[in-house]
Amino acid sequence: MAEKHGNHHKHHILAPKIIWTVWALLLIGTALTVGATHFHFGAVNYVIGILIATIKAALVVTFFMGLKYDSNENRVIFLTSFVFVAIFFVLTMSDLFFRGPVEFDNGRFLAAQEAHAAAQSSDPWISTPELVAKGKELYAAQCVVCHGVNGKGDGPAAGALNPKPRNFTAQAGWVNGRKPSEIFGSLTKGLNAMPSFATSPAPDRWALAHYVSTLGPSVLKDSPEDLKKVGAGNASGGGGGEKTLPIDLAIEIMSSEG
Amino acid sequence: MAHAPAMDGNRQYAHHFLSADHEFETSKQGIWLFLLQEVLFFSPLFVAYYVFRGLHPADWHAAAQLLDWRMGALNTVILICSSLTMALAVHGAQTSNKKKLVVNLILTLGLACGFLVVKYFEYTHKFHMGIYPAGAFTYEGLGQYPAAKLYFSIYYAMTGLHGIHVLGGMAVMLWVLKRAMRGEFNAHYYTPVEMTGLYWHFVDLVWIYLFPILYLLG
Repeated sequence: MAEKHGNHHKHHILAPKIIWTVWALLLIGTALTVGATHFHFGAVNYVIGILIATIKAALVVTFFMGLKYDSNENRVIFLTSFVFVAIFFVLTMSDLFFRGPVEFDNGRFLAAQEAHAAAQSSDPWISTPELVAKGKELYAAQCVVCHGVNGKGDGPAAGALNPKPRNFTAQAGWVNGRKPSEIFGSLTKGLNAMPSFATSPAPDRWALAHYVSTLGPSVLKDSPEDLKKVGAGNASGGGGGEKTLPIDLAIEIMSSEG
Repeated sequence: MAHAPAMDGNRQYAHHFLSADHEFETSKQGIWLFLLQEVLFFSPLFVAYYVFRGLHPADWHAAAQLLDWRMGALNTVILICSSLTMALAVHGAQTSNKKKLVVNLILTLGLACGFLVVKYFEYTHKFHMGIYPAGAFTYEGLGQYPAAKLYFSIYYAMTGLHGIHVLGGMAVMLWVLKRAMRGEFNAHYYTPVEMTGLYWHFVDLVWIYLFPILYLLG
C-alpha cells in the first residue's frame, strides 16, 4: 500500500456487466444446490452442496467484495481468517473422533469411558450419581416385574408371590436391613423368591443397591464395618473390588465355594 | 485541538492521512480486519454445528426436515438480489450517479426487510409448534431424537446472529442513504458506500453457507 501514497491510485470500478453476470451465476448456483439435494447421492450430496456454496462464496468475495482487485495485504488479512477457522475445525474434530464415543444422557454429555469407568469403579460401594443412574437402568430391566416401577413391591408379578416383594419405599419390614451393603448382600445371596444375583458383576449389584436405597424414606450410609461384612472396602474384597469375570470362570469359582 | 481537513485536489481527507487515497485504503483495510474478526465470530457456531451433527446424525437429519427449504431458498434469492443492488449502488456512487446510488440503496434496504419478514414467518411458525431453543423446547414430534432440540438451539443461534447482522447492515444503510440523498457521495468520495457494501456482501456470504447446511443437507 505504501507505494500508493501521494499518487492517485485509481480505484477499481466493477463493471455492471460483471455485476449482473455474478448475480446470475449465484442464482444458478442456488438452483443447482436445491436441485442436487433432490437426488439422493448419499454422502456425495453433502460434498456437492458445500462445494457449490464455496464456489458461490468465492464469487462474492472475488467480485462483489473486489478481493481480486484489492491489495495483497487485504487478501492475506481476509484469507488468514479461514486458515484459523480450519485449525479450529481440524483440532476440534480430531479431538472429537479420537476421544472415544460420547453418550448423550438426559440432557448431559457423558464420555462413554467415563460412564464405563464409573460403573467399573474400584470402590463401587461408595454411591455416586453415575452408579445410581446405572442402577436405575438395571432396575428397570430386571426388578420392575416384581418390585414395581416405583419400588412399592407392586409389580405385575407381585400378586403371585408370597411373601410379597419388598416395598422399598417403606421404612419397616426389611429382612436384612436397608443399608446399601445390606441390599447388596440380599442381591448376592437372594432372598425368599428372589434368586441370587451373584452372577451379575459386583459393580452392577452395588449400583442397584445404591439406586434402591434412594427409593426409601431416607438414604442410609454404610459404616466401614458394614462394608467389611460384605468384603468391600479393602483391596482383596470380594464384594466390590472384583472385576467382571467371564461367566464360566464365575461358575467355577461359585461351585468351588459351595 | 481541531484540525481542518486537508485537501487533495478537490477531495477532503483527515489531516493524519497522507492523501485521500491513503484515507480510503486505510478505511478499507479496517473493514477487512473487521470482516476477519466476523469470520472468526461466526466460526464457533459452525464448529458446534458439525460437532453435534457428528454425534447425532440421525437427530440432525430428522430436525432439519422440519425446516421449510422453500423459505430458505427464497431468502437466499432475496439476499443474492440485495448483493446485486448493493454492488449497483456502489457503482452509482463511483460514477457520480446519485439516482442510481439512491434507488439501489432503497432496493437493498427493501430486500433486507423482505429477508427479515420471511425469517419472522419462519420463526413464528416454529414457535407455534413449540420449537424453541433447547431449554424451552416443547415440540413432541421428535421424541425419539433427543438431540433435535440441540439442532434448533444451534439453528436459532446461527440464524439469530445472522439476523442481527442484517439489522445492523440496515441501520448503516439508512445512514448512508441519508447522506447519499444529501449528495455527499460522488466519484471522488464514496468510502462509506463501498465499506457498507463490503459488509453487506459478507452478510450474504454467511447465508450462502447457512442455507445449505441448515435447510438442505441436515
